[in-house]
Amino acid sequence: MAGIEFQKQERQNKHQVGPFRQENIYLPHPAIIREIITENETVSTFVLEFEDALYRQEFTYKPGQFLMVSIPHQGEAPISISSASALTTTFALTVRKAGKLTGAMHGLSMGDVVGIRGPYGRPFPMGDLEGKNLVFVAGGIGMAPLHSALFSCLEHRQKYGAITVLYGSRNPDEICFSEEMKSFEQDENVKCLLTVDEAGDNWQGHVGLVTELLDMISIDPGTSKALVCGPGIMIRFVIARLESLGMQAPDIITTLERHMKCGVGICGHCHFDEKLICSDGPVFTRDELTNLENI
Amino acid sequence: MTGRYLLAKDHLVPLLRKIAKSNRLVAPVLNEYGDTLFSHITDLDSAAIDLAHQPQNSLKSFFFPQTEKLSTYLVEKSPKTGNVRYNFYPHTVENQPTAYVGVRSCDMFAVMYTDMTFLHNGERDNYYQKRRDNAFFITLACNHPFPNCFCNATRSGPFLELGYDLQLTDLGDRYFVETGRSRGMKIVEQMGQFFKPASEADRREQFQLALEARGLFQRNVHVELASKILQEQDEPVGIISELSSRCQDCAGCAYVCPTCTCFNIADLPLDEESGERIRSWDACTFAGFSKMAGDHNPVQCESQRVRKRFLHKLLHDVAKHGRPSCVGCGRCVDICFGGVDIISFVDRVVKTIDHCRDVD
Ligand SMILES: Cc1cc2nc3c(=O)[nH]c(=O)nc-3n(C[C@H](O)[C@H](O)[C@H](O)COP(=O)(O)OP(=O)(O)OC[C@H]3O[C@@H](n4cnc5c(N)ncnc54)[C@H](O)[C@@H]3O)c2cc1C
Ligand code: SF4
Ligand code: FES
Repeated sequence: MAGIEFQKQERQNKHQVGPFRQENIYLPHPAIIREIITENETVSTFVLEFEDALYRQEFTYKPGQFLMVSIPHQGEAPISISSASALTTTFALTVRKAGKLTGAMHGLSMGDVVGIRGPYGRPFPMGDLEGKNLVFVAGGIGMAPLHSALFSCLEHRQKYGAITVLYGSRNPDEICFSEEMKSFEQDENVKCLLTVDEAGDNWQGHVGLVTELLDMISIDPGTSKALVCGPGIMIRFVIARLESLGMQAPDIITTLERHMKCGVGICGHCHFDEKLICSDGPVFTRDELTNLENI
Repeated sequence: MTGRYLLAKDHLVPLLRKIAKSNRLVAPVLNEYGDTLFSHITDLDSAAIDLAHQPQNSLKSFFFPQTEKLSTYLVEKSPKTGNVRYNFYPHTVENQPTAYVGVRSCDMFAVMYTDMTFLHNGERDNYYQKRRDNAFFITLACNHPFPNCFCNATRSGPFLELGYDLQLTDLGDRYFVETGRSRGMKIVEQMGQFFKPASEADRREQFQLALEARGLFQRNVHVELASKILQEQDEPVGIISELSSRCQDCAGCAYVCPTCTCFNIADLPLDEESGERIRSWDACTFAGFSKMAGDHNPVQCESQRVRKRFLHKLLHDVAKHGRPSCVGCGRCVDICFGGVDIISFVDRVVKTIDHCRDVD
């Protein structure tokens, strides 16, 4: 048992007084899976809570930030926090089965433990959104970080103008948060339009690209802010469309994705021209991105 | 103000012996294969300290080992609930106070640069920090730059004005010694028997050597001009794709480079219930470096794999820190069999301009 050998020396480290654990930026903290919500065949939302009561109390985050998630033997992956920063001790991650780590995560059950470090990254500029009409444009799993921002806004609904959600999925089965999306139909607080690339038998809604939904609403460029997240190519087209509708670069906000290892601006993996997506971003306004070619 | 002293050459080893009583020593050592490498010296009498050649390695691995355990993890299934417990136990860095001896100014500048990456970028890397806190530097000014050196062009040598604890300059039968940081002064105070004050004539001699050394570079590399061109114009696509196509993806350049510190983090399972989280050197030229899920890669490897490396050192870091993160040590020139070194990039960038001017 290889485990035994280190236990003598390193078990002690854990019980050292707080500072070393706090100081070590690479050390994940165990968090228990309290609930698993199946969004669709490939996406589930994991509601988590730290094992350590102190950490549970101290942990805060802002919409747009992400966590480095450890799954036994699989290493780590960056995952956006999808819950709003409400005053609960739990937080949520909405994860698409994309490969090894995310696949293994989908094999976990309630009560199992994952490792968490973070939160990292620059959040959405929530303060700047106040008083504005907000347009959330999401593609696929890109809804996860926007969900956090959207529900933070809904918690303080009176602070914002009109809220519109435009959400594109490959097909009706791949829509995430579908209960909530459905509930928006009866909700005068939010206008929500969905679209799919390929309609199934039961789909009465729009079929086509999410950019087409932008033509179905009216945006007043002077009073609006747009938050965009999805695959790189979708971000590029949505930004181009928003600009052609007259929106100014500082009012278009997006969040980008890169291969990440450290999450804190040291390992170099998430480079994008002169920026590090993990620490300079992942949230950027359009004017901060000179080149959208390789996003 | 820095102090100025003389150290007789035959006092160097006795001084190191004294320092070694309370410190580990790292210095360039000539090994049995004829290679000079920065190495730990355990026995001063048998080690062949070689201050005449450039060490093939830099100091990078002493602060940031090629592979290093970050933590150990345990995965235990609770027999009662069947749920999995999952805990991480940090690896403690074993490190002692260490004197780094015979460090040339390029390598000293590289340490100062990696400090920015690991310590001053917002988050502190405590594995690096532990080793760094334990370090002090006895540097050696370069009277005779080596054939591939161009630290004059990167403003990182051949003599140091900052960063060192003690800087030695070879004056023939004696070293001219300058004290920089406080630990250097302390050594002179504690081991005063080895040092005597330098005269004005010694100081002038050292100054003269420093001046002459600037004229002895065999390479003329226009680093600043290349940075300026990169700032003012679109990046040279043809140059990047030509050099990329000649890169064999071995990462030799990044590994010998004293300022390349990109790393990977991966889990190494030991058995079902435990494993280690390891970090290891990585390189932005590797095909998988930027690859994301679904084999999506924002970097087109065939034509762009060397782009990040060169632009990072000559464009992005100049914008961020006011100086390039190439320190001019020339190691990548020696190592790359495809000739994809930073000098060949700088030369090509500068030539595009000469070419345009010719056309005008
Ligand atoms: C800031 C940020 C937020 C994210 N938020 C979410 C989210 O909320 N929900 C979600 O489902 N996904 C999210 N992702 C994507 C998620 O991180 C990847 O899907 C995941 O890393 C894939 O890992 P894998 O082992 O399952 O895939 P594999 O294809 O088996 O492995 C991919 C390989 O690339 C590495 N890798 C590192 N970073 C990434 C990356 N960003 N994308 C893909 N591979 C990466 C992995 O370590 C691994 O070596 C986010 C990514 C970033 C950068
Ligand atoms: S680049 Fe060459 S001359 Fe300059 S400090 Fe390094 S070894 Fe000395
Ligand atoms: S993930 Fe390491 S620098 Fe961004």
